[in-house]
Amino acid sequence: MSIVENIAGLAKGMGVTLREMVQPTEVENYPDGPGPERGAHFQDRFRGAHVLQRDENGLEKCVACFLCAAACPANCIYIEAAENTAEVRISSSERYAKVYNIDYNRCIFCGYCVEACPTDAITHGHGFELASLDATTMIYRKEDMLAPLPEKKLPETAGATV
Amino acid sequence: MGTIYIDGKASEADPKQNLLHACLSLGLNLPYFCWHPAMGSVGACRQCAVKQFKDAQDTRGRLVMACMTPAAPDTRISLQDPEAVAFRAGIIEGMMLNHPHDCPVCDEGGECHLQDMTVMTGHDYRRSRFPKRTFHDQYLGPFVYHQMNRCIQCYRCVRFYRNYAGEDDLNAFGISNEVFFGREQDGVLKSEFAGNLVEVCPTGVFTDRTLRRHYTRKWDLRMAPSICGHCSLGCNTTMGERYGLLRRVVNRFNSEVNGYFLCDRGRYGYEFVNSEQRIRAAQINGAPTSVTEAKRRLSSLVAGGQQLIGIGSPRASIESNYALRRLVGKDRFFCGVSDGEWERTRAMVEILQAGPARSASLRDVELSDAVLILGEDVTNSAPRMALSVRQSLRQQSFETTQKLRVPLWMDDAVREIAQAKRSPLFIAAAGATRLDDVATATYKAAPEDIARLGFAVAHEIDAKAPEVPDLSGEMRELAATIATALTGAKHPLVIAGPSCRSISVIESAANVARALCDNGHSAALSLIAPACNSFGLALLGARPMSEALAAVQDHGDATLIVLENDLYRQLPAKLVDGYLAKAAHLIVLDQLGNGTTAKAELLLPAGTFAESDGTLVSNEGRAQRFFQVFVPEDGIKESWRWLGDQSWSSLDDVLSEIGTEIPRLASVIGAAPLSSFRIAGAKIPREPHRYSGRTSITANISVVEPKPPDDPDSSLSYSMEGASIQPPAALQPFFWAPGWNSIQAVNKFQSEIGEALRGGVPGVRLFETSTGGGYFDGIPNPFTRRTQEWLLLPIEHIFGSEELSAHASSIAELVTEPYLALNPADAAGFLAEGKPTVVEVAFGGLKQRVPLKVLAELPSGLAGIPAGLTALCGEELPAWCRIERAS
Ligand code: SF4
Ligand code: SF4
Ligand code: SF4
Ligand code: SF4
Ligand code: FES
Repeated sequence: MSIVENIAGLAKGMGVTLREMVQPTEVENYPDGPGPERGAHFQDRFRGAHVLQRDENGLEKCVACFLCAAACPANCIYIEAAENTAEVRISSSERYAKVYNIDYNRCIFCGYCVEACPTDAITHGHGFELASLDATTMIYRKEDMLAPLPEKKLPETAGATV
Repeated sequence: MGTIYIDGKASEADPKQNLLHACLSLGLNLPYFCWHPAMGSVGACRQCAVKQFKDAQDTRGRLVMACMTPAAPDTRISLQDPEAVAFRAGIIEGMMLNHPHDCPVCDEGGECHLQDMTVMTGHDYRRSRFPKRTFHDQYLGPFVYHQMNRCIQCYRCVRFYRNYAGEDDLNAFGISNEVFFGREQDGVLKSEFAGNLVEVCPTGVFTDRTLRRHYTRKWDLRMAPSICGHCSLGCNTTMGERYGLLRRVVNRFNSEVNGYFLCDRGRYGYEFVNSEQRIRAAQINGAPTSVTEAKRRLSSLVAGGQQLIGIGSPRASIESNYALRRLVGKDRFFCGVSDGEWERTRAMVEILQAGPARSASLRDVELSDAVLILGEDVTNSAPRMALSVRQSLRQQSFETTQKLRVPLWMDDAVREIAQAKRSPLFIAAAGATRLDDVATATYKAAPEDIARLGFAVAHEIDAKAPEVPDLSGEMRELAATIATALTGAKHPLVIAGPSCRSISVIESAANVARALCDNGHSAALSLIAPACNSFGLALLGARPMSEALAAVQDHGDATLIVLENDLYRQLPAKLVDGYLAKAAHLIVLDQLGNGTTAKAELLLPAGTFAESDGTLVSNEGRAQRFFQVFVPEDGIKESWRWLGDQSWSSLDDVLSEIGTEIPRLASVIGAAPLSSFRIAGAKIPREPHRYSGRTSITANISVVEPKPPDDPDSSLSYSMEGASIQPPAALQPFFWAPGWNSIQAVNKFQSEIGEALRGGVPGVRLFETSTGGGYFDGIPNPFTRRTQEWLLLPIEHIFGSEELSAHASSIAELVTEPYLALNPADAAGFLAEGKPTVVEVAFGGLKQRVPLKVLAELPSGLAGIPAGLTALCGEELPAWCRIERAS
């Protein structure tokens, strides 16, 4: 019985190998390829450098709830919260992250922070060229991670009242 | 104790308690909302349902509310019964129908009782798809933030606010699904205990408004056990810090002292630590300098051969005062307060040490059943005590309750039985007090007459006590009424203090207490001290300030060292100017800039209670230790470190030296375990295990994770690593237990719910009763008013009268403007067309312009100014003053 199973397992594995052998080869032309990723291709789920997202009004999605920092096993997220006011509105909720740093010397790209975030503010982007000879450059500030403002011009009042 | 069966298991339970209390005391997890250990049960939330069985044969059982069912012997219940479990989950689901589910932006998140209970019942998915009810949120003042949508209608807030704290401007409005908890209109909450709503409310409806400004989750706070330094009661607190900023204060349960509640001065006064006025670096003649340079200057001044004169402080720890006393020599160590205050403080200490009456803890106050208050508005001078006095008023009604066999925890029934019946409370004061509304009788008079009343009461109780000459019939009658009430009580209590600036008032209180004790009553005496460590300083011993001036004059080139003390608040300005001008060098150690620090040649930044360790002696005579929460970056150090001996390596060294040098303070070292104390070889962590961002907090300075600072002075560590079992109570940095993130985790640390922590009662009592002494006979003459002059008295204010807390930004919003108060008849002559005017007060060569305020309850012939809030606050009062309408 077990012999039959073993042979079947082996055959299945070899089947994959043989099928791949006759597929056309795909060569990654990194770093000389086209596009911002210079030829590298990623699956959507790839966990690269983080991006702090904005909502449809261009406000920051992060509400400074500290859940990502609490979830982070490497303890590498630093947040300082501040209150939105009628004059200065950064996020759509009561608080926003005045400072948001991730220390990439320590981040292990586990994605727990992304999972913990209730507003989908922190996400993994595809940024992967993070290596540096100077460890101090590995502390990314909020400004380094924040998604760019949407192209569309915002209505005059957006951001002033919510 | 009786035996009850929980899920088939036999356990011990107190039959006088309810099943919820019993289950929690046994360490079981049973969810609840409306029940509160200090406020009893009302059965409003239905969350604590369990299955109760008639007997061992009964398998069907019925659902009961654990909080409303007595833990009678042989009761059989089941917590795990599927029907009970489903019922509890259903209740939570019902509460959550309208709940905003906005934990990420809710200040309560991470320490929310509703979160904890929701997780405990297993409700994790919202099925309802209907819109949620929404409410308008109110502005409730600088302390409490209101977010009404999160309410689950447990009624705890109004029960605390109205029934427990006795204020009426918070209420429940509306019906059925639309009950609103708030004020009739936006406005500052009137109660001085409103801040407790933050802890009483199991949800995020009421949250700490000061915390919002620098918001941090509980799990991210570095915390340490501390002692409130804003009055003499010594309430136990937990301080929380992050990123070098003190973020908030919460209550730390101490069964003998503050129990579950703090006053708002204590809860919100902490912000002075972050104030702009903080002295953060040493200064030489006003110019900032390095720690090394400051130390060099200090030692050269100290070794300079000039006479050293040390001025201590009633708000500095025993250790800091001792360090100064040691440095200058005990004959050149002065107390730093006016001669009058020093005399009163020492008298109070002697009375408590010699007297037959027990020095009352706040718990004793709560359990007393007849109270006489002489000369104090306790809500403003020792705020938390007012809350205890209010509870004491229920004691006598408990007798009826017991006769009717209604258990004490059945709150509504007990209050229904009591109706308006209150234990006797008599208040004699020089004006209105915040407890007048519940007093049996009040007596408004000048200090002399208050003292005379006290002496008369003592004489009524015990004929051996001196008789008051020329007593009016009215006063004699009042004295007799008070005497009858006190002698008819099981635990009578007398409260007095220094607010009237009269030693006779204090002595008369001592006489009443002695008369009661000598006649077989177990009376207690509570004497309020002027500052958080006045009694500690008195026990340490110092010379009076009048002798300091002589000492400065004798040595034309003396070096004056002033410890954490703004002399301009303690002594007449002219006198202080004199001291400071005569001294050749002035060294000042303090936390906030003030008139004295402005004149310092060498100014040293002293640590606040958040940045230092030390011991304070409360008005009860309880020595309690506060522990440093964080290590400040700059040169800020404990005063005892600045001034101390080179050989001292830790607080233990200071304490053991104090023990040998001053035998009466020998037991102070036992206020908390020594720094060598370890649990299984490990220190006790100040940070919760979930403390986040550890490696990145200092990444902007260096990417290398720094070693946490050492703490030579205590057995607490500046990290999240260490012993995770319950430490001795004095070292409890915060309350947290698995599944219990809110402050109600304290349940898991008590020997029995509502009783002492399993780690003991923090602190050591220094005063025990003894059988020495006799009656005081310094009975003053009655007060006679003068025609053109008024007797000027200070009026204590909870917000503003205390020096440090007045610098907290939230408290500053509520500090009253300076005023001069007169009673309506006296004021009439100064009012311009009945409108408020500005008057000029003159006495002892001083003049001050202040707006006139009419105070109905102020006795005629007296004038009042807010204590600590005018330029006159250093003057020795009472004093006769002249008043003129300012042109
Ligand atoms: S990916 Fe993981 S290690 Fe990196 S910041 Fe998020 S939680 Fe922390
Ligand atoms: S009250 Fe509690 S459960 Fe409700 S939103 Fe706030 S943290 Fe969450
Ligand atoms: S506001 Fe808080 S304490 Fe008051 S009823 Fe609502 S949930 Fe209970
Ligand atoms: S009563 Fe006094 S010791 Fe207690 S919290 Fe208030 S100010 Fe602090
Ligand atoms: S706690 Fe028992 S009904 Fe609310």
